[in-house]
Amino acid sequence: MTRYRGFFTLIEREVYRFSRLSRQTIFPPIITTLLFIFIFGFSLGSSIRQIEGFSYIMFILPGLASMSVITNAYANTSTSLFMARLDRSIENTLIAPVTYFQMVLSLAIGGILRGLVIGLITLLVGIFSVQLKIHHWPLTLLVLTLSSIIFSNLGIISALQAEGWDHIATFTNFLITPLIYLGGVFYSIQMLPPFWHKVSLLNPIFYLVDSLRYSILGTSTVALSLSLGILIFLTIATFAICVWSFKIGYKMVS
Amino acid sequence: MKSPLPAIAVHSLSKKYPKVEALHNVDLEISEGEFFGLLGPNGAGKSTLIHCLVGLCRPSSGQVLIFGKSTLQDYTYTKAQIGFSPQDTNVDRFFNLERTLQFQGGFFGLSRKESKLRAQDLLEQFDLADKAKEQFYKLSGGMQKRLLIARALMNKPKILILDEPTAGIDVEQRHELWQFLKDLHVSGTTILLTTHYIDEAEYLCERVGIINHGQIVEMGSPQALVEKYCEHRVEILLSEPINAQEFEDIPDVNINGSILQAKGQQLGPLTERILQRILQKSSRKVLDINIQKGDLEEVFVKTIGGYSQ
Repeated sequence: MTRYRGFFTLIEREVYRFSRLSRQTIFPPIITTLLFIFIFGFSLGSSIRQIEGFSYIMFILPGLASMSVITNAYANTSTSLFMARLDRSIENTLIAPVTYFQMVLSLAIGGILRGLVIGLITLLVGIFSVQLKIHHWPLTLLVLTLSSIIFSNLGIISALQAEGWDHIATFTNFLITPLIYLGGVFYSIQMLPPFWHKVSLLNPIFYLVDSLRYSILGTSTVALSLSLGILIFLTIATFAICVWSFKIGYKMVS
Repeated sequence: MKSPLPAIAVHSLSKKYPKVEALHNVDLEISEGEFFGLLGPNGAGKSTLIHCLVGLCRPSSGQVLIFGKSTLQDYTYTKAQIGFSPQDTNVDRFFNLERTLQFQGGFFGLSRKESKLRAQDLLEQFDLADKAKEQFYKLSGGMQKRLLIARALMNKPKILILDEPTAGIDVEQRHELWQFLKDLHVSGTTILLTTHYIDEAEYLCERVGIINHGQIVEMGSPQALVEKYCEHRVEILLSEPINAQEFEDIPDVNINGSILQAKGQQLGPLTERILQRILQKSSRKVLDINIQKGDLEEVFVKTIGGYSQ
């Protein structure tokens, strides 16, 4: 236990940080999700025909959950690490007798937990407000977890690359947000013309949304095995980049 | 039990940046239990060297060993041996002092209970107990420095590395810290200190290294270095003019009216000899004696100046 004490303390610090700032980290995404459900489910949704046999709000709920997981996992690690770089408290983490693997994992776990909490709350809101029934709970948890790991890792990579808060925002505004919106959160890519359908298949977030849609609704555009394969590959690849960056001390040590 | 291996061993350590070589082939060994001071002008390479020891700098070449283990291959072991108080503040702004120390204990493997007790002890020891719930960045500069030192001590390190710990601390607190460090040293902790206060190094350290342009240009005990580099001076004012011939057999004596000046590395025997000669003539009175002893600051200036030439 003593051997892993440093690792668990790093996790505790990450969880403490986002739970202490719950007015910024937990409640706003819940309110955003409720607004989406209200606008698309009860307002605009009633004038949109069914998609793949589901009401519009039911169809977009997996996408909303994905969006919550992505944005929160990413925001947690990017903010936490970039702040630590700014006030140089990252140096104090780096002098601790904890492996680089554990350092990255603890940061990622902070993002994963925040992403999962928000993602599950989104689904719970769906369950209670529109009687959403989850097709396959274990698969849902697996996809939510893989999604939050990938975007926690991307948050770490972004925080290491960034030289200022505007860089973090640029990454969010010009990459993540467009990919989310073009990843089939609000529509089925089968509704797109063939060219844009093919373009959408290049968007990794599509596989995340599609596999979560399968786990929740039991329907998907591409084979689940393909989506899961891509998610697992992205999980391993992004995590390996993060550990390697910590090992060489990228932009953290001289 | 004392380790037969040096607490810190640095072999042929170099650190090159794109435009400057911060360290060039540095060799250094510090024994367990030693109090070692690292002196040097700004930009000499002190902090780079220290950062290589604690894992905040990747050497370009060479090796750093802590109790015989590499800081690159066995970094979790080497980091666990060290407590580090940096020159600049690097405290997480989210946490109050108590939590900052408790988390530090946890990072180094202390249980929650141990961390809590240790944090309380150190906050009291460093006169910060009444600020336990305050945020670090609301403290004065001196208090921040004390917290950084307390944080470095959370894991009861075998090696304590202090990068300019007394900068910004008032005189009274500096003397209290000196006493604390002396006690810590007596208890067996190896201490590596960098400082711009030469008197601090002279008072505390058993051995000092002077670093300039990334190279250690001199190393030894303060006394040995003073003897090597400094000439002490004595000036004696007498009640009447002195006949120079009386002292011509004593080397390095200069007479100017009723003032006698002498210099040498062993000032005690020299002064004794001069005074015996003066007092042979009973009518003469010694009005004033002024002794100027060389110190580590003189050594520092000479070695740094000498090297730059």
